Amino acid sequence: MGYFSRFAVPHPSPAIYASMIAIAVTVFLIIAGITYFKKWIYLWDGWITTVDHKKIGIMYLISALLMLFRGGVDALMMRAQLAVPDNKLLDSQHYNEVFSTHGVIMVLFMAMPYIMGLMNFVVPLQIGARDVAFPRLNAVSFWLFFMGAMLFNLSFVIGGSPDAGWSSYFPLAGNEFSPHVGTNYYMISIQIAGIGTLMTGINFLTTILKMRAPGMTLMRMPMFTWASLTTCIIIIFAFPVLTIALLMGTMDRLFATKFFTITDGGMDMLWANLFWVWGHPEVYILILPAFGLFSEIIPTFSRRNIYGYTSMVASMVLISFYSFLVWTHHFFTMGQTAYVNSIFSITTMIIAIPTGIKIFNWLFTMWRGRIRFTVPMLYCLAFIPLFTIGGVTGVMLAMSAADYQYHNTMFLVAHFHNVIIPGVVFAVLGASTYYWPKMFGFVLNEKIGKLAFWFLVIGFCLAFFPMYITGLDGQARRMYTYSEDTGFGPWNMVATIGAVCMAISFVLIVYMIYYSIRNAKKEAVSDPWDARNLEWATHTPVPEYNFAIIPQVNSREAFWDAKYKGHPLFKGDYEKIHMPNNSGVPFLMSLFFFALGFGLVFSMWYLAICGLIGVFICMAHRSFEQDHGRYISVEEIKETEAKYGGTHK
Amino acid sequence: MKELFPAKQVGGFVFSLILTGVALLVYYFNMSRAVGLTILTLTAFIQAAVQLVVFMHAREIEDSKSVFTTIYYAIIIALVTIFGTLLCMIWGWNY
Amino acid sequence: MKVDHSQPLEYSTEQNRLNILGFWIFLGAEIMLFGTLFTCYFTLVNRTSDGPIGAEIFEITPVLMETFLLLTSSFVIGLGIHAMRLGNKKAMQAFFILTLLLGIGFLAFEITEFITYYEEGATLQTSAFTSILFTTLGTHGAHVSLGLFWGLFIILQVRKRGITPVTANKSFIFSLYWHFLDVVWIFIFTFIYMKGLTQL
Repeated sequence: MGYFSRFAVPHPSPAIYASMIAIAVTVFLIIAGITYFKKWIYLWDGWITTVDHKKIGIMYLISALLMLFRGGVDALMMRAQLAVPDNKLLDSQHYNEVFSTHGVIMVLFMAMPYIMGLMNFVVPLQIGARDVAFPRLNAVSFWLFFMGAMLFNLSFVIGGSPDAGWSSYFPLAGNEFSPHVGTNYYMISIQIAGIGTLMTGINFLTTILKMRAPGMTLMRMPMFTWASLTTCIIIIFAFPVLTIALLMGTMDRLFATKFFTITDGGMDMLWANLFWVWGHPEVYILILPAFGLFSEIIPTFSRRNIYGYTSMVASMVLISFYSFLVWTHHFFTMGQTAYVNSIFSITTMIIAIPTGIKIFNWLFTMWRGRIRFTVPMLYCLAFIPLFTIGGVTGVMLAMSAADYQYHNTMFLVAHFHNVIIPGVVFAVLGASTYYWPKMFGFVLNEKIGKLAFWFLVIGFCLAFFPMYITGLDGQARRMYTYSEDTGFGPWNMVATIGAVCMAISFVLIVYMIYYSIRNAKKEAVSDPWDARNLEWATHTPVPEYNFAIIPQVNSREAFWDAKYKGHPLFKGDYEKIHMPNNSGVPFLMSLFFFALGFGLVFSMWYLAICGLIGVFICMAHRSFEQDHGRYISVEEIKETEAKYGGTHK
Repeated sequence: MKELFPAKQVGGFVFSLILTGVALLVYYFNMSRAVGLTILTLTAFIQAAVQLVVFMHAREIEDSKSVFTTIYYAIIIALVTIFGTLLCMIWGWNY
Repeated sequence: MKVDHSQPLEYSTEQNRLNILGFWIFLGAEIMLFGTLFTCYFTLVNRTSDGPIGAEIFEITPVLMETFLLLTSSFVIGLGIHAMRLGNKKAMQAFFILTLLLGIGFLAFEITEFITYYEEGATLQTSAFTSILFTTLGTHGAHVSLGLFWGLFIILQVRKRGITPVTANKSFIFSLYWHFLDVVWIFIFTFIYMKGLTQL
């Protein structure tokens, strides 16, 4: 029993035992279900070994939705605990675990994969490519993210969740104050997922730079592709910082190095510094693709081209660069002198300028447009005012002197939810409704979608605006309860009601998907929204080679011009198409990574070494493998195209 | 045999050795902090540039613009990180 | 696979050009990785607590040997790529093997150096300074070790399959990696050893 006692959860509660049973039952049901319906081979051939960017994108989206559920339940638990003063629903330790996992999951395992999923699905189609530059690497990226997420979630039932906040500041995150393995899980699972993200960044930057359709110059790229390009640049230069920070944190915890200790010369503040050198660009990794998605949806539903294309591009490039110059504003109160804080105050406020330019450009795009109030467009319309409020409170926080009042209060919590939910969550929800027909061949139910939208928007306002007020009054974040005398009670109750509305909205979204699968007309609609860019120029569902003939681009809105100005998009005849082969190695490699990570979390060195050797064997296999891909013959293309009703010409 | 040793690369190698020698001067002679650090920084960056251009053929690839943009951007961000961190953690610290 | 014969073999197919550009971008990320390590090194260099400072443990001779070995190996692999472009498989293999041998020599010196540090009481756990010193040098050393295996695999493939667009591409990318490790070493040599030894 001694060996297994390390796996015990240090602070068990009935809820955790119930979850253990629930997880066991779910896993059993899934395995039994797949076996019963004889879907193992379909799953392996069709999905697990796939290198197709569209399928990988969809797998990212499914994982993201699952993680949204997990993170959402965490959020509901927090709101339930804070609903009334002196509540005893959760004790302080559980509350710590809940807010830590909520933050990590929502940022790294929900928002990131959601964005990655949309990038995967949309970018190659938008630039008229057949796949990404390195399809196999793309599969590795996905599976590393997935295993990282699974490892992180495992902490809930084996060994205990991380409890030092999503930023895991030292010395709190050190062995002395966080003795159980939770923080090991944090360090290692984010490391694994982070390596995957870095590879995605390299992959997509290469893809966008080199694989655009003929005629698509940089300044003719669609907005979302531009947003992805700038995002990839941020990923490539920000994630190595996280890699090193997590490596140092892991070594401090496992090998007693002295990086972030209080004794022996260690510097705990260095962790905060490194974390935010990565963490601030990370915020823009989330928001820039969201901006890109809004810039796709708004022109389509306003029937106008995007206003100020050049300034849109310039502002994104500027934001991607500025994002590296501002990180100190996350710890204004740590003790640097006023002149250091002033420098970073100014750089932070400067970022508001390019962001403001974008807001005005979206407004001018809609100006005199013929606006259609579809679900994706509603999300855009709600985004603009709400995000502006979030941005303005951000500028308030950027004033370092004033920040001493707001720092670590609910005001800050309200601020960053106010940018991330209307910014990122509205964008990905709007975009998944927008791209749903391209992915699955039918349009989602508008009525339920609109209902979900209203619940989300109203719920959001109710949940977070009160926090601005209690925050200014001094309610600290990450406190598991407060006394009645503070007067925070009523406002917190309102916030909890808002959170419940948001939960209802999530349920409605799931119901909308279920309802639409059952009832939507499954006719192939390749262009349901009368859209403007190349991703809509191919069939629905998209054939595995994307485009039978690579499109010729000679304007910024090639597809629109093809539809309404008669520019020919597809010239020439079918040729055989080269496609990459599927491979199970990425999945296998990620399993080895999982074993390596699990071994490190519990200091089980044999398991860790076996995992590491497995990873190296997979890499060696890749080096020696001779895989030249395969060809799709002209006959096959003709057959597929005929089935979908012929290539648009 | 001779064609296996192109003048450009041999020259680059000799130049690298000379630069290492120059950096060593800082070790063998006493000099002020400013002079010493200037010599070290210059020799390091010139040597890195020699590697990049002579050995890594960074200029001959058709995407050399993308390559140089990436490298310059990486260097700029790395320098921002180094000096920004020193500013926050060491120079701009009162206590 | 369309092969463009007007270009050197390593650039001759579309996938090859993608691979090379992708690897350059990866090197950009590596610059940032080592940049972060240097950030931490500069921040922690004076935080030696009760442990030794750099000037007390660094020795010039092994450092110079390591520098010379790695610099030479970087030159030799450049010759290897030149031989590859001439189509001289034998010379290319010889140069690649020599590169790896020099790499092994470098690692041998580095490991001996680490052992000396340990004997002098500078361990991974002694102080913030020694922690970051070993981590920075170790990350570079781990890159070199990984490169040894990678290089070996490539030599075996060239031996078996000859100089083809695929193997030429892999060899060229490996040479980029190896040169890059030399670049990193130049900065380690300059800003860790020279700066530490002279206490500037």
